[in-house]
Amino acid sequence: MARLELQGLCKGWDFPVIDRMDLTVEEGEFFVIVGPSGIGKTTLLRLVAGLEAPDAGKVLVDGRDITALPPYRRRVAMTFESYALYPHKTVAENIASPLRARKTDAATIAKRVQSVAELLRIDHLLDRKPGEVSGGQKQRTALGRTLVADPEIFLLDEPISHLDAKIRHELRQQFHTLEDLRKVATLYVTHDYAEALSLGDRIGVMGSGGLVDVGTARDLFERPANLFVAEHLGQPTINVIPARLESHADVLHLRANQGDLLLPVDPARAHLLAARNDGAVTIGLRPQFVRPADEMPAGSAQVTANVDLYEALGSTGILIADILGLRITALTSPERIFEHDTQVQLAVDTAALHYFDPRTGANLTLQTPGAGAATAMASSVASGISSRAEA
Amino acid sequence: MRGVSDMTATSSEISQTESGPKANSIDRDDPATFPDWFRARKARSNLIVARWVPIVLVGLPVLVLFGIVVYPTIWMFYHSVHDTNMMRLFQGNWSYIGFENFATVLGSDRFWDSTVHLLQYLSFGACLQVVLGTVLALILFELVKNNALRTLILILLVLPMMMSPSIVGVLWKFLLTPSNGAVNQALLNLGLISKHIEWFNSGISLWSIIVADIWNWTALPLLIVYSGRVSLPPAVYEAAKVDGASGWQVMRRITLPMLKEVIAIAFILRFTDAFKFVDLVYIMTSGGPAQSSELPTYIAFQRGIREFAIGEAAAYAIIIFAISAVIITLFLKYLKRVLKAQGIA
Amino acid sequence: MSEKNYRLVRTLLLIFLGLWTVLTLFPIYFKAITAFKSPAETNSTIPSFWPKEWHPENFVSVFAESSNFQSLVDSFVIASGNTLLSLFLGTLAGYAFARFPKQAGGENLAFWILSNRMFPPVAVLIPMFFLFDATPWGTDSRISLIILYLVFNMPLATWLMMVFFRDAPRELEEAAYLDGWTPLQAFMRITLPLVLPGMISVSMLCWIFAWNEYLFANLFVGTDVKTYTIVIPTFTHGSQTLWNLQMAFSLMAMLPPVALFILLRRYMVRGLSLGVVKG
Repeated sequence: MARLELQGLCKGWDFPVIDRMDLTVEEGEFFVIVGPSGIGKTTLLRLVAGLEAPDAGKVLVDGRDITALPPYRRRVAMTFESYALYPHKTVAENIASPLRARKTDAATIAKRVQSVAELLRIDHLLDRKPGEVSGGQKQRTALGRTLVADPEIFLLDEPISHLDAKIRHELRQQFHTLEDLRKVATLYVTHDYAEALSLGDRIGVMGSGGLVDVGTARDLFERPANLFVAEHLGQPTINVIPARLESHADVLHLRANQGDLLLPVDPARAHLLAARNDGAVTIGLRPQFVRPADEMPAGSAQVTANVDLYEALGSTGILIADILGLRITALTSPERIFEHDTQVQLAVDTAALHYFDPRTGANLTLQTPGAGAATAMASSVASGISSRAEA
Repeated sequence: MRGVSDMTATSSEISQTESGPKANSIDRDDPATFPDWFRARKARSNLIVARWVPIVLVGLPVLVLFGIVVYPTIWMFYHSVHDTNMMRLFQGNWSYIGFENFATVLGSDRFWDSTVHLLQYLSFGACLQVVLGTVLALILFELVKNNALRTLILILLVLPMMMSPSIVGVLWKFLLTPSNGAVNQALLNLGLISKHIEWFNSGISLWSIIVADIWNWTALPLLIVYSGRVSLPPAVYEAAKVDGASGWQVMRRITLPMLKEVIAIAFILRFTDAFKFVDLVYIMTSGGPAQSSELPTYIAFQRGIREFAIGEAAAYAIIIFAISAVIITLFLKYLKRVLKAQGIA
Repeated sequence: MSEKNYRLVRTLLLIFLGLWTVLTLFPIYFKAITAFKSPAETNSTIPSFWPKEWHPENFVSVFAESSNFQSLVDSFVIASGNTLLSLFLGTLAGYAFARFPKQAGGENLAFWILSNRMFPPVAVLIPMFFLFDATPWGTDSRISLIILYLVFNMPLATWLMMVFFRDAPRELEEAAYLDGWTPLQAFMRITLPLVLPGMISVSMLCWIFAWNEYLFANLFVGTDVKTYTIVIPTFTHGSQTLWNLQMAFSLMAMLPPVALFILLRRYMVRGLSLGVVKG
């Protein structure tokens, strides 16, 4: 039971991979790190585990500096993306390995292995070799090996991304319910954003060099620190619209650079944008907040579009529409039908728009709290995403 | 259209952030991509073992090699420019004579004759064997369809390679005995010759050695190329079959190009071995008759260990060493490339 | 190429293969039957391709000379001793090269070690001869050959063990560290069992090379210690060569390498090709 702290952690090979990274994961916290592959997520875990030595910075557990400790002197457990099960040992021996390393007596080992195996529902496989069990069972074995270790820190590297959808779902639920995982500080790495949103107490979005944004699923969804975060969270992907600020009748408006789209700026944020002198801004518009006009409250900003493509997905419908050359993805309720090349009236919830700096990608309106109206929808959307990722 | 280009600019910017900086995008003057800590970082040891552990692990064999290879080689360099012989060596009173030993060696017909012998041997001991081995391996794999038969033939063909050179040398000396040897008798029986061939006469004896060596070592390229062919992915061949390529086309366009490295390795192995080759000379002819089947290495041993002309032997050794150093360096460069491509080194 | 021509070429190639097989086997066949012949028959003016009388007792009477059996023992001790030493040193260094390449001196050092196998030993043997002559054991000893054979076997063992260790996933060891095993424990419990097939093939190769070695032995030993390889060329009785005993003896001496090859040929190809061909 301990708190994990990273202070100014640096690591590079041919180029800087992790650049002055700070992070605190509280005891009992399930912290998910999400980011595209090759960005250095695994490197981060290896630094915490002690498999790599950092070029600079510190790793602390409960305030103790463990930066110089070798992995076998740290109480850190880690699952590997490849599972890394010992092929010449049985499932039981694999799980017992950390206990053996600490010279635990045989009776205790047997008891612990049995109880962990029962918990993970692999107790009937204990005598098999890893080569004789399925992928999901391998992952459970790897997980069992970390669970018996009773570590201070848990590191999970893409634990479920190579499994098929059904088992992935099952294991994911298990992560929610495993007591042991909930008692320590856990770092969980994944490239799957739905997984991250569903599992993490907090989520860190990793870009090049380190974390770009940290927060709860809702934070990241409603107040992304920048365009990178917004683009990578949420399904379907957020609409990114380069636009320009204009004043019409003293009300600040946005005009898309491409296509005929003119939207009023939410008055709550207008003052944050008014100062931008060149007027260029990149709008992020989540498909959830642009819908056919008849599904939205009256009075929303409206625009006429041409139906390009429509997919009914059961729980929702995805409409790809064309506004004179500007392609917009919109969500509809599932029972709707839209023919290709017909006109449709779309309505936009302007309160849910994100405004980014077109050059740096930084969110221009972070200072304001998220629009109340969007909040409820965001969380329902987040859960909708996770159910789709299973399919 | 301006909007479109804006859009592209935005997305490319994002994708750059996404893939992270790569080695070639580092700007050494820009602290954002080349921070101070990165500039200052040391080639740190890992946390797993102490820094001395790998050094000791590698140091043991390196020390042994210094004792049994490097030191002797330096010793040879030293004595190649001295008038060392047995007596002077034990009395410790050899003296510096510059490059006289080299002049003696390079000025002697014996050295140049043996060099010609070596070239003769290399072209047959290495080149011909690799060609033969490759052809035989591919015939065996492509045309013999029965698996058990294939394995049986492979094992039979490799048997000679498992024999000591002393067994091979004695066996061929026996087979090639001019008066009542099996080879002459068999050739007579088949009507290919009408009188015994004097296999160990001047001018033929080197060829007898080469024949024995081909018999002994063709199996190595054969085995390597055969195994290389076995591990080629069948999917490529299925595609070729669908395209209707003929057997010869498949061989020339697919098999041989894909086996290029494997054949090259077989060649390297045979070539470097052939450079070391000397044992059959000892057993079959002792370099004779009249030095007609001598190789430089043979002379070096003969002069050095049998006749104790150490200085001259050292000169021989250094010449051989220098030439092989060039060849081996080239080979290792190639090997490195092949292994890099395979991810081994 | 027409179907008919194709068949013709195919047939010709198969005939070539068959012919080559026959030519390869003929010396072995003749060796085998000679081993059963009487001394008179081996020296008759017209060699026979089938023994007139069978003398299987040749295989026993060759050991009437006790030094013949002793030479097999010497060869065995030298080959095994050298193999153990090569394997031990090669495993340690190969592991360091595979896991800590930078700290172990980098790939150029590994290639340098390998290059020692390729160099003609002439620059080494002559000085070593005088060096060993000055030691208490002298050149004519088992220990001198055990050490000398390291020249070609240790580089091979180091190189091949490096290749095999690279094949064994590093993550398994790392998982072991995280389980709390020290590097030595992880190496012994996890990595070593994984490279065991590799170690077996490396030791078999080293053993065969040492067992069959002739040149070094010929130059260094011969009185107190004799390897079977230098005994074979010396089967004479007076001025006559005892071909039948010689062949019987060498047939027995070549059995171990042949048996090892048949059993382990898959693994051995990897080693013979310096790791390039997976076999």
